[in-house]
Amino acid sequence: MARDYDHLFKLLIIGDSGVGKSSLLLRFADNTFNGNYITTIGVDFKIRTVELDGERVKLQIWDTAGQERFRTITSTYYRGTHGVIVVYDVTSGDSFANVKRWLHEIEHNCDVVVNRILVGNKNDEPDQKVVLTEDAQRFANQMGIKLFETSAKDNTNVEEMFMAITREVLKTKKESKERQATKTNDIVNLRKSTKQHRKRCC
Amino acid sequence: MSTPEQLAIVQSKFTTGETVVIAMEAKLCQGWLKSTRLIAVVNKGSTSALVVLITSRNPPQVYSDLTIEKILPIDQDFQCNIGTDEEQQDVTDVFLNVTCRKTRTIFEMRPGIAATNLVSAIFQAIDVYQKNKNPTTDFLWIQKLTGSVRSLDISGDQEETISDPIVDLESQDINISRRNIATGKTPIAPRESVVRYQMACKEDDYTYTKNFRLFIGTWNVNGQPPIGITLQKWLSCDEEPPDIYAIGFQELDLSKEAFLFNDTPREEEWRHIVSRSLHPDANYEQIALVRLVGMMLIVFTQTAHLPHIKNVCVDTVGTGIMGKMGNKGGVAVSCTIHNTSVCFINAHLAAHSEEYERRNQDFADICARLHFSTYAPSKGFKDHDQIYWLGDLNYRITEMDAFRAKQFLAGGNLLPVLKLDQLEQQRKLGKVFQGFHEADITFKPTYKYDPGTDNWDSSEKGRAPAWCDRVLWKGEAINSIAYRSHPELKISDHKPVSSIFDSQVRVIDVAKYRKIHEDLMKKLDKLENEFLPQVTVDTTEVIFETLRFDEPCSKELIVANTGQVPVEFEFIKKLDDASYCKDWLSITPYTDFIEPGQKCDIKLEVRVDKRSAWKLNSGADQLYDILVLHLVNGKDIFITVTGTYERSCFGCSMEALIHIPVPIREVPAGRIMELENSKNLSQDPYSVPKEIWLLVDRLYRHGIKTPGLFETQGLHSEVLAIRDWLDVGSQDAMPGSVHSVAEALLLLLDSTPEPLIPYNLHSQCLSATASYLQCKQIVMQLPEIRRTVFLYICAFLQELLNHTQDNGLDAKTLASLFGSFFLRDLPRARDDRIHRSRTIQPTFDRKKAAFVYHFLINDQSDFIGR
Repeated sequence: MARDYDHLFKLLIIGDSGVGKSSLLLRFADNTFNGNYITTIGVDFKIRTVELDGERVKLQIWDTAGQERFRTITSTYYRGTHGVIVVYDVTSGDSFANVKRWLHEIEHNCDVVVNRILVGNKNDEPDQKVVLTEDAQRFANQMGIKLFETSAKDNTNVEEMFMAITREVLKTKKESKERQATKTNDIVNLRKSTKQHRKRCC
Repeated sequence: MSTPEQLAIVQSKFTTGETVVIAMEAKLCQGWLKSTRLIAVVNKGSTSALVVLITSRNPPQVYSDLTIEKILPIDQDFQCNIGTDEEQQDVTDVFLNVTCRKTRTIFEMRPGIAATNLVSAIFQAIDVYQKNKNPTTDFLWIQKLTGSVRSLDISGDQEETISDPIVDLESQDINISRRNIATGKTPIAPRESVVRYQMACKEDDYTYTKNFRLFIGTWNVNGQPPIGITLQKWLSCDEEPPDIYAIGFQELDLSKEAFLFNDTPREEEWRHIVSRSLHPDANYEQIALVRLVGMMLIVFTQTAHLPHIKNVCVDTVGTGIMGKMGNKGGVAVSCTIHNTSVCFINAHLAAHSEEYERRNQDFADICARLHFSTYAPSKGFKDHDQIYWLGDLNYRITEMDAFRAKQFLAGGNLLPVLKLDQLEQQRKLGKVFQGFHEADITFKPTYKYDPGTDNWDSSEKGRAPAWCDRVLWKGEAINSIAYRSHPELKISDHKPVSSIFDSQVRVIDVAKYRKIHEDLMKKLDKLENEFLPQVTVDTTEVIFETLRFDEPCSKELIVANTGQVPVEFEFIKKLDDASYCKDWLSITPYTDFIEPGQKCDIKLEVRVDKRSAWKLNSGADQLYDILVLHLVNGKDIFITVTGTYERSCFGCSMEALIHIPVPIREVPAGRIMELENSKNLSQDPYSVPKEIWLLVDRLYRHGIKTPGLFETQGLHSEVLAIRDWLDVGSQDAMPGSVHSVAEALLLLLDSTPEPLIPYNLHSQCLSATASYLQCKQIVMQLPEIRRTVFLYICAFLQELLNHTQDNGLDAKTLASLFGSFFLRDLPRARDDRIHRSRTIQPTFDRKKAAFVYHFLINDQSDFIGR
């Protein structure tokens, strides 16, 4: 049977409680927004299929509880993840300060190859913004990851952000495939050379 | 639906004159859904219709079980294709693809005689229509049936189910049958096929039409090589360069080699001359060349269109000798121009004047056998939007002698002769080229001439002139511009023919296509998300107020299935935990199914017992657990369970208890934790925990002569009262019967973190049972407090045995009872069933008893004195 998609990727959204992880997911998957705050108590996912350079990519996006008390449990959901979206709230300095901890969680719990993206959400009330874009950008540069400032409420940059991480994940997959291909070539070459060597000996 | 009774029920929906020919069950495929319908072929006079009925009962029992949902007249608009789902090779269902009034409907049927009969009934009806070409007024009876009259007997609440899904294909959202999906009655079609189907339905929304000029040419060259000629007068005689050329030849090579080995130099010679004779005002690329013996078809396109021409494939059908050889038959090219599928067929049908039936047969064979397998699923020639049929079809004129015919033709009077053209006659009879069109013939017959001249055949046979070489078409939006012969080319006994068409090709508007495709994907994603298991729980924080030792307390958690599909939930282990919850908690049920709209009450019971109490006292554990409620194929919900534990002497170690001079409730929890971890011990501890002393003292005073002491069960409520008396402290006498007191003593011994004799000494004890001396030495090694308690209890038991006459106890019974407490086994894990096999356990128990027995029958005054 023909498959519905060319690639299936698992994305994970992490970050402090209340930064808008679920809202980002809801905006991206269902294009809806609900102003009422409902704490995520658990781990939920939604799917969305996107087309990227003519390839169909099915995304399974996991939204996690951000509360501190669930941190050890949620860390078990990092396994098998291709891309992690670390979210902070641009109106909360604490949530930005905690980004380091979340990045640490990724290092600890994720597989070796995982793409990351930094997202400053709630970027819709300039008056309340406390995490300056320059500071966040500087930090993102240091960490070698992309920064996106989004608003799930106003639907700004959400699509772009998810597409960016998807693009990176796809790129990583293709690169690793290529590497594997060259690797097998190397092996073949090695074998060839030993054969020749043996011939000479005889 | 094969029984006459059932057919009669269907018949009852119709009036006299309307005959139900056949009816059977089929699945109506609408997007994701497949729902059961009855489909029937009904005819009245020479008209027929395909009727779709909804049945509320399957099979229908009475007239009112059936509702006519839709009636599709079998007329010129009606198309029907059969296919099997080739994507799923294990499924051999037959798909009936009906197109009527521009609306596509797909039915899935079980293959078998019934399906075959239904299909043949439909095709028969199509044939009948093709013969009669009934005017639309003949189909008026259908309008009457689809009117509201027929649904009068349907009660209002059923209206929802008879909303017209066939007309309104847009409304394929799942509103109607969500319930069916949820209960698994309706299989969800693979998403990929849904996308393809939906995009096909919406084709008009993302395509626009573009005019393509097609040049179709055919020439029977009678085996002549193209020497010293050019073809411009045939192929580029028009002002405007065509977009596409399809040029067919017959009798390209009449040699034996060509016939037997299908190999001829003529192919390249003619191809070359054709490519040099194409219209000079445009650049052309050859997209296909196909040849079977003498039949060759070449298709060219303007270079600019090349990127938009896809799926090019060719096929050949030989209908010559034995119905197989390639001296007669057809060659075809199929391709997709933008989004329109086009098929060109160059045929050379059976020769000889009287053989028109043979020609009809050749036509039918070619139709049936042409097969383009590069498509998935593969296509027959009928599956194209546009079909152009050219060639030497060989139909003659037999009902007029050659002389008369030539007379008419010489006078430029074609009509009397044309009327007798076999092809015209056979088409009118519906015997051949059904559904095809041909432009009016305004040119002289193209056969048979003396080669090199425009003179009619002067040979002995003196064949009558005939329009052998023809171009026909089938499909929508094809406009014939010209149809002519080219007598200037004289090398053959046939004259070439050409036809110009302006055909509307559907072009995909990429932006619109993307948008619609994206919308569709979003819609499907939304559906997929909606079909994820979804539940709500009434709380994610279960709080137990006050919990006391050995006093179970339960709360309910309500899980409601608020989604569209049945949910299977399960509490799962988190991290490296051994179980899905702590050992003081039990969850029933911990896994279950919930139907949509239903709920499940889950009982959470907390019981701090002898196994878990010590962990809470020592701080190794707390009354706090996070449960992971997992929905199979769905999300996880975290449920936090908390409670306040009232500390108790039960579960405390002897080591801690001797340092607590007051009732334990008067001591802060932190202090107990300190003592359990041997921190900040008090200066002068008791030698025996006061609780042990109080219990033993009570028994000594009131139970020493009680028959069956330690053999009779106490009351749980009394044990709990004794617990509170010990934990809180009271001026009153200890509550409860001596049996309850005895039980409390045993429970106290049983709920310590470690048995009185530490685990590490157990194997020594069990192997020393043969010698009292060795046993004594082990007891000597015990930590002081343990040894004291051990000897203290043994002394008390000896005292009990001094009153055997009253209490009826014996040393063996007591030894076996206390052996099991002093030398308690390691607790078993919840799912540990192996532990010790049943055959070994009694041996261990006997040895434990033997160990204690020594201390019940031997005088230990020397011991105690030390």
